[in-house]
Amino acid sequence: MSWINICDEKALPSFGGIAAWIENRAIAIFNLREQGVFAICNTDPATGVSLLSRGLICELEGDIFVASPLHKQHYSLTNGQCIEDANLSVQLYRVRCENGRVWVQPTSEVIDPLSSGS
Amino acid sequence: MGCIQTTQVLNRECSGDDGDLRPKLLIVGNGMVGHHFIEQLCEQGLHEIYQVEVFGAESLPAYDRVQLSKYFESGSADALMLASVEAYQAKGIRLHLDKEVIRLDLDAKCLHTTNNDSWFYDKLLLATGSYPFVPPIEGKDRQRCMVYRTIDDLQQIQVAAENATSGVVVGGGLLGLEAANALLTLGLDTDVVEFAPQLMPVQLNDKAGELLCHKIEALGVSVHTSKATTAIIDGEHAFHRMTFNDDSHLETDLIVFSAGIRPQDSLARASGIEVGERGGIVIDDHCLTSDGDVYAIGECALWQQQIFGLVAPGYQMARTAISHLSAKVSGKEVAPFKGADMSTKLKLLGVDVASIGQSRGVENAQYVELSDNQAGTYKKLWLDETGRFLTGAVLVGDVTDYSLLLHQYLSGDALTAPAIELLQKEAGAGIELKDESIICSCHQVTKADIVVRVLEGDHSLAAIKGCTKAASGCGGCSALVQQVITQTMESQGLAVSKGICCHFEHDRQALFHLCQVEDIRDFPSLIKIHGKREVSQFGLGCDICKPVAASIFATLENEYVLNVQHANLQDSNDAYLGNLQKDGSYSVVPRIAGGEITPDKLIALGLIAKRHDLYTKITGGQRIDLFGAQLSDLPMIWQELVDQGFETGHAYGKSLRTVKSCVGSTWCRYGVQDSVGLAIDLENRYKGLRAPHKIKFAVSGCTRECAEAQSKDIGVIASDKGWNLYVGGNGGMRPRHGDLFATDLSTKELVIYIDRILMFYTKTAARLQRTSVWLESLEGGLAYLQSVVIEDSLGLAAELETHMDKLVSTYQCEWKTSLDNPTFLSRFSEFVNPESMPILAVEQYGYSRGQRFPIAPSSKINVINLPVDQVVQSTELNDV
Repeated sequence: MSWINICDEKALPSFGGIAAWIENRAIAIFNLREQGVFAICNTDPATGVSLLSRGLICELEGDIFVASPLHKQHYSLTNGQCIEDANLSVQLYRVRCENGRVWVQPTSEVIDPLSSGS
Repeated sequence: MGCIQTTQVLNRECSGDDGDLRPKLLIVGNGMVGHHFIEQLCEQGLHEIYQVEVFGAESLPAYDRVQLSKYFESGSADALMLASVEAYQAKGIRLHLDKEVIRLDLDAKCLHTTNNDSWFYDKLLLATGSYPFVPPIEGKDRQRCMVYRTIDDLQQIQVAAENATSGVVVGGGLLGLEAANALLTLGLDTDVVEFAPQLMPVQLNDKAGELLCHKIEALGVSVHTSKATTAIIDGEHAFHRMTFNDDSHLETDLIVFSAGIRPQDSLARASGIEVGERGGIVIDDHCLTSDGDVYAIGECALWQQQIFGLVAPGYQMARTAISHLSAKVSGKEVAPFKGADMSTKLKLLGVDVASIGQSRGVENAQYVELSDNQAGTYKKLWLDETGRFLTGAVLVGDVTDYSLLLHQYLSGDALTAPAIELLQKEAGAGIELKDESIICSCHQVTKADIVVRVLEGDHSLAAIKGCTKAASGCGGCSALVQQVITQTMESQGLAVSKGICCHFEHDRQALFHLCQVEDIRDFPSLIKIHGKREVSQFGLGCDICKPVAASIFATLENEYVLNVQHANLQDSNDAYLGNLQKDGSYSVVPRIAGGEITPDKLIALGLIAKRHDLYTKITGGQRIDLFGAQLSDLPMIWQELVDQGFETGHAYGKSLRTVKSCVGSTWCRYGVQDSVGLAIDLENRYKGLRAPHKIKFAVSGCTRECAEAQSKDIGVIASDKGWNLYVGGNGGMRPRHGDLFATDLSTKELVIYIDRILMFYTKTAARLQRTSVWLESLEGGLAYLQSVVIEDSLGLAAELETHMDKLVSTYQCEWKTSLDNPTFLSRFSEFVNPESMPILAVEQYGYSRGQRFPIAPSSKINVINLPVDQVVQSTELNDV
């Protein structure tokens, strides 16, 4: 599957998120510096609102999460699973940084971003 | 239900007939117990089944009689009030004040009140309380001879004290010492005359009485025991001369009798209801009198030849009567009154005193006794002849073990360790709490009740107080409740940590202190130095500790909250300087200080709202909220607002929101001070102050209190001499009236006190703790805060003021700062690659009542039964 060129690497805020468009959907990209760059679907599955990029990054039980700004459900950036509700999860996207640019793959595979590029 | 119809016919000729077909429940007496009955009545929903009328002989609704002497400390009855006509009205209950019931006709089931009104009843509750006993002494009816029972009595004492320099209390019991406290507060030379050889003869033994006497004399009260007053005559140097049985005498300007109480049973007695030989309305185990439709509860009731002169047994009777009254409706079993424990713990003239069970020994009884003259404490425990069961205790000077000892006494369990251990440092070692043990005797809360709530996730004392009512009566069991919480959490393997989250073992106050003294001003340093290593592998923190850190840094330095080291710590609203709404849009609230706005600015605001199609609503804080702004629209909207002279209202921050005001003396014909002017000045002084939670102020220009200042964190009410300051009010889920903090302040004094209070709050409160809860959680409460702020007991005042001055002088409008710097504005771009954004014509909004609303509430999307390793059709999730 082809990679999509998103933006300049410098456009990603450190330890924060930003939303981006790939094809017809919004994704959230999080730049955690040494821990890597992560991409998930931007939509909070608990509410259907597209805003996960605006959530706070959290480290809990050895994993990395984003807390939804609306009701603070935590979604894992490494497996998409919601801590509070086992029925909720978010789609993960493969992301890599190359030659100063950020690339995302609109994938449908299960991925482990900790081992994917950056 | 035939009786109802009969009543209805009769009621045609009666007051209170308004066509209500419900059976009538009349309540005579609106004291503490009568009020508790009504609270319980409403809790059970019985106020909807019965038409309820309440008659109070006093001019005030129910107040806290136990702490009567506080009236003189605060100068008003406000702090003592328990009930109000309005609160009753909200429940559909009518309270008739100043209305004495003069006759009860059992056959007609009718009450006659002053003004010749008659009221029929189906059920009647007598909670008439008691009256003070005045010994039959010659001269007892002279002027300036008073009793101590009601606020009315206190007002009379206050008036008499104006022309007096000395006062005597007749009676050295519990109430007598309260009365002595009142006289002392009024600045009189105070003497206490007691007939018995010691103070508090009912509750204490001789040694405890002696220690109490020493402690009270050290406060300037002269105590005379073993004295019987024989007559009161004209004095030579003072208004009265009291002569005693030992031929001695004492001169004084006023006399307060507090020699015990007698049940107020005259209404029942005259009606033919059975009363006891020595007074008291005879009741059975259901609190029913000899008439099956009439209940009696509290100090007027006589149960098995006993009168219960404390409030907790009265509350128990109220619950019994309610349970009997509701049994027919609820089908539940009646919980009979089984007598009550008369143990008591109180602070008299600043001295802690407690008594449990028997205060004197019986034959063969064993005891342990600890008399510490150095510390000024005395403790004695009475045991049965085997020495294994606690039968009583007397404590003076140190009553910290009261709850545990009381529990041990009430449970009737054998001690598991020698009794002397109960008096040593690690008290309570030999006491084990059982599930059915009553922890809070005011509200009958058992250990099991508390454990259940702790297991459900209520881990704080405040939360347990709220849901079980434990420790919300006299408060004496707080320590024990906390102990149950802690034990339960430990038994569940829950870490009893005061840490704000899993990354820190510190609470907010500790973190604030660390950041301040160690000059920590960024989160990576904070978590690296003080975070728990094992859970902070990446040093990222979480959505709890990061906003706390951001708030602390803001209070310390007041830097721009979105600069590079702070932006990623901010919570949802602060992060984008707007109030996030359910659809992901933001609302915009410009500051309108004091609620005052020029027509031009109002028009400008309207034009901006219209241009951006923003839903517009007036807020409760007297400003205007503009809804429906998309993230990327915020800078444009704010540029227009700033151009028109507006600045941010900090509606998104845990910071000062608004200072609400009434119109004040500039226009109002009642106003005594310029409340709007002060509100604007206060709002401009404290705007932008980051705190543990949001802070609301209000200023009222006269005592009519139109600005509702008593429901705010900081409330200011004009008096004709200056400003009265209230602290710790709250609206919302758990409303609380602010406590009167200081009176008749000049504007300068007012600002100094508010500076100190707010800085002390921002430094010491817990995360997301409003001032109301903070004030209640301070050990020593209001009095402690007053000592810190007014008397500077911690020597912090200067530091607090300097810190506040620094924050005031470094204020910035965060939106102006953002607009002046394009690098800050980049975070308001909705997408990093907007050029790839597809052209979607998804209509998210509709129009109603002339304004734009989000269409259909965002529906919750469940990705059900989808194993993580399957594809989520993200397009489905994305079209909102």
